Amino acid sequence: MVDERLRASLALRDDELTRIAQELGREPSVVELHAFDAQWSEHCSYKSSRHHLKALPTSGPDVVIGPGEDSGILHLGEHDGERYGIVVAHESHNHPSQVVPFEGAATGIGGIVRDVLCMGAEVIAVADPLRFGRVEDPDSHQRYVARSVVDGIGAYGNAIGVPNLAGDVFFDERFDDNCLVNVVALGLVKESEIVHSFAPKGAEGWDIILVGKATDPSGFGGASFSSVTLDAADEDANKGAVQVPDPFLKNVLMRASYRVFAMLRGLKLTVGFKDLGAGGIMGCSAEITSSGGYGADIDLDLVNVAVDGMPPEVIAVGETQERLIWVLPPEITPEVLRIYNEEFTLPQIAHNARATVIGRMTGEQQYVLRHHGNVVMDVPIDFLTGSIKDDLPYVETVRHEPPVDELPAVDVATLFPKILAHRDVCSRVPLYQHYDWVVRGATVLARGTADAGVLKPIPGSRLGMAVAVAGNPRYGRIDARMAGELAVLEAVRRVAAVGARPVGLTDCLNFGNPRKLEQYSELIGAIDGLGTAARELGLAFVSGNVSLYNESKSGVAVPASPIVACIGALADVGKVVTPGLKRANSALLWIGSRELSIGGSVLAELLGMEGPLPAISYKAERSAMGILESAIASGVLLSCRAVSDGGMLTALARLAFDARLAGRNLGAEIDFGNPLCEAGGFLCEIGDASEIDVTGTMRVGTTSDEPVLTVNGTRFDVGELFEIWSAPLREIYP
Amino acid sequence: MSARIAVLVFPGTNSEDETQRLLRDCGGDAELVHWSRADSLAGYDAYVLPGGFAHEDRVRAGAIAAHDRMMDYVIEGAAKGKMVLGVCNGAQILLEAGLAPGTGSARRPTAAFTFNGPQPHFICRLVYAKLAVDPSRSPITAALPPGAVIPAYTANVQGRLAATPEHMREIVEGSHVAFVYARADGTVDASAVPNESALGAAALTNKAGNVLAIMPHPERDGWNFNHPQRQTGDDILAPSGGAVLFSSFVEAVNR
Repeated sequence: MVDERLRASLALRDDELTRIAQELGREPSVVELHAFDAQWSEHCSYKSSRHHLKALPTSGPDVVIGPGEDSGILHLGEHDGERYGIVVAHESHNHPSQVVPFEGAATGIGGIVRDVLCMGAEVIAVADPLRFGRVEDPDSHQRYVARSVVDGIGAYGNAIGVPNLAGDVFFDERFDDNCLVNVVALGLVKESEIVHSFAPKGAEGWDIILVGKATDPSGFGGASFSSVTLDAADEDANKGAVQVPDPFLKNVLMRASYRVFAMLRGLKLTVGFKDLGAGGIMGCSAEITSSGGYGADIDLDLVNVAVDGMPPEVIAVGETQERLIWVLPPEITPEVLRIYNEEFTLPQIAHNARATVIGRMTGEQQYVLRHHGNVVMDVPIDFLTGSIKDDLPYVETVRHEPPVDELPAVDVATLFPKILAHRDVCSRVPLYQHYDWVVRGATVLARGTADAGVLKPIPGSRLGMAVAVAGNPRYGRIDARMAGELAVLEAVRRVAAVGARPVGLTDCLNFGNPRKLEQYSELIGAIDGLGTAARELGLAFVSGNVSLYNESKSGVAVPASPIVACIGALADVGKVVTPGLKRANSALLWIGSRELSIGGSVLAELLGMEGPLPAISYKAERSAMGILESAIASGVLLSCRAVSDGGMLTALARLAFDARLAGRNLGAEIDFGNPLCEAGGFLCEIGDASEIDVTGTMRVGTTSDEPVLTVNGTRFDVGELFEIWSAPLREIYP
Repeated sequence: MSARIAVLVFPGTNSEDETQRLLRDCGGDAELVHWSRADSLAGYDAYVLPGGFAHEDRVRAGAIAAHDRMMDYVIEGAAKGKMVLGVCNGAQILLEAGLAPGTGSARRPTAAFTFNGPQPHFICRLVYAKLAVDPSRSPITAALPPGAVIPAYTANVQGRLAATPEHMREIVEGSHVAFVYARADGTVDASAVPNESALGAAALTNKAGNVLAIMPHPERDGWNFNHPQRQTGDDILAPSGGAVLFSSFVEAVNR
């Protein structure tokens, strides 16, 4: 029987333990128990979500690689006869960031960057959707989390030299006990040079090479820790499960790997390369070999360790950061070891860091670990890594609040400044000024200067890449399914608003406890919503992540948080829609839905009202995209903002602020039913509206050369609004 | 044949690619030289130290890197009059190596770029560096117009010039402050300084003017596509903005 203390440390359920013993025909060893505990955790196995995720669209003309490997890849465009892809990965580091925020957030960046790197890509950008609790109290843990997460993201991303290009942040009491730290990483790869996360054909007998940081006792039990509800009483054990970041080593590891990629290109060899994440050496080596149809035989004594005497299960399953695994034919092993260990001097960069052969791939379907001459693990590899499934009950959730019959008469003069100062609307500059968003010299539209961040990733080419994120927790509180749909729509609109063509999506699903009917049903509903919106817009999800158990011990789950990132392509980055109003006397057009419901809006929160989310019309959405595209193509679109949090008036204010920042003192006069509603659409500055078909648009106003916004007769000074909008987060992020 | 420029890559450097690219786009023959190839540095005619976190900024930014073997060649080359440009972390290394302001001896720093004020945080934003000396003061700035205002990004935790009063006097009297922070229109005032740097200094040069240590990154605003707001229909791929300093450096190297 399993030792009681050991049993208590495992997240495996009794029925799972029984199944393992039955399959093996014996009691599992300690190492095997820990291996299954990690590999069968929700975090690794997606056991309660994978069968639902199958409903998401994952293919299309722009998809190069869909979900299944460490990252997905979208087609960006062609340059010099080469096809280029954007490697896309999206992950959460929620639990670690709540417990040890600086390290938790930093290792979140570190992990996602490896997922992109191992596809043979150069890492070109990161983005980070963040959700924090109430931060008003300077001494609160929430304030500490909100600050330290930003410091951790900055410290890691800045050091490895990857620009932080997009992201968002929301504050809500239901994130008090569970912050969300999602991270998106993007890479650039020639489609002919992709490296896969599995061993190719004919790889029997190949070397398994571990590269990176010396394995240490940090991060032991990380996968299972992310697959249970956080318990304050286990604080110390939880802290031990968080890994230790080393961006300095990662910086060198990335550059050394780029050198190995160049060497492999010369040899025209197909090999496997994979990030070590959940489940450590065991998880990574089992997946990279089994997905090619092989087994593995690994000697844990060959692993470079930081301290002697570590138990085999810690070496095998511990989640020490900054490590990857190559599977390579033995004849090129010496050159790869030379690049890492001699040319890039890994052993001098961090204590006992190196590339080293730890085992080989076998033709047998067994996963074998040895330690001190003994076999400590010997299990059928498909049983270990094969998809296990938890069929949990759920219901169709329909949570629409009763419709509001009539919109209240809104006092714009009082409410608009409050909306601009609202924690979810005000300027994010105090936060992202701590991130490097210009390193690599490829930035076109920097973090926060437009609806999407834009890069020109290929030297000598005019191709541009845009990225934006979305996922409004106020929507998630009301209706998980629509929150999923709206997350897709908002991310897509943001990318379209800078003139990019949306090419694909990635998602991170942050939900509560799947063993609670309502929380699990929200997850299923949101997946359905994501799928619906993506199909309607002809887009696919190429990667994603599920983070469950974001529920406090008191049973409060985070609002349904399907968070989406959209990637866009620009054939000519010179045609990007630049920020801010451009000149006086241009027409302001509203393009998009006229549905003036206030559910889920900042306005509703300020008025203490509830209401249904705005109805979605995909026909109107597609038509709006078409109008926008033709306005850009004909050159009449001077500036544009997607309407979201804070409504159309906030979008207009942002256009005026951006003009002000660029030295253009401009304003506008508008006349519109309820300019604070958040009905989705675009607010566009059009030079000559006679150039485009404006059917389906509505003229709402005109720009002026006076820095004043006149809204249904009420005048606001742009400079004063700018100060109101700029100030609130300065206290949190000095 | 144009002179050969080495772009030094220390462990932790992160801006080498764009630095090399802009030097090349400005006509320079620039190559990356990694730390394990330090020996080859003697064969280069000029050195550029790009941004990053060399040796993890342990002790102080630039402190360990100043003692890296690669710096033996830079110190020797600078003494022979080779052109040396350090940007951000590269500038910090040049100060720690005693090459800028160069008022002491090698590896005995007389000034430092240290933690930003009023908060010791990493700050990333667009700034403007204004030439504060006669262009002829340094061969590296010789091709710039007097009072040139160069867009660049500050992106550091330790960018504030600090020195003892005595060393500060030497810096002022020897006209070592090559660039100060300014507003876009060239106005110099405290609001343009992102970090409370002494004298509003953004860059220091040595006595001979062949070493320039500049904190903000000109290469991150180095092409038209980097600043779409200021674009005037020029080729988006062409060097512009911060590139004028790199062009001037390349001219000095090739002269």
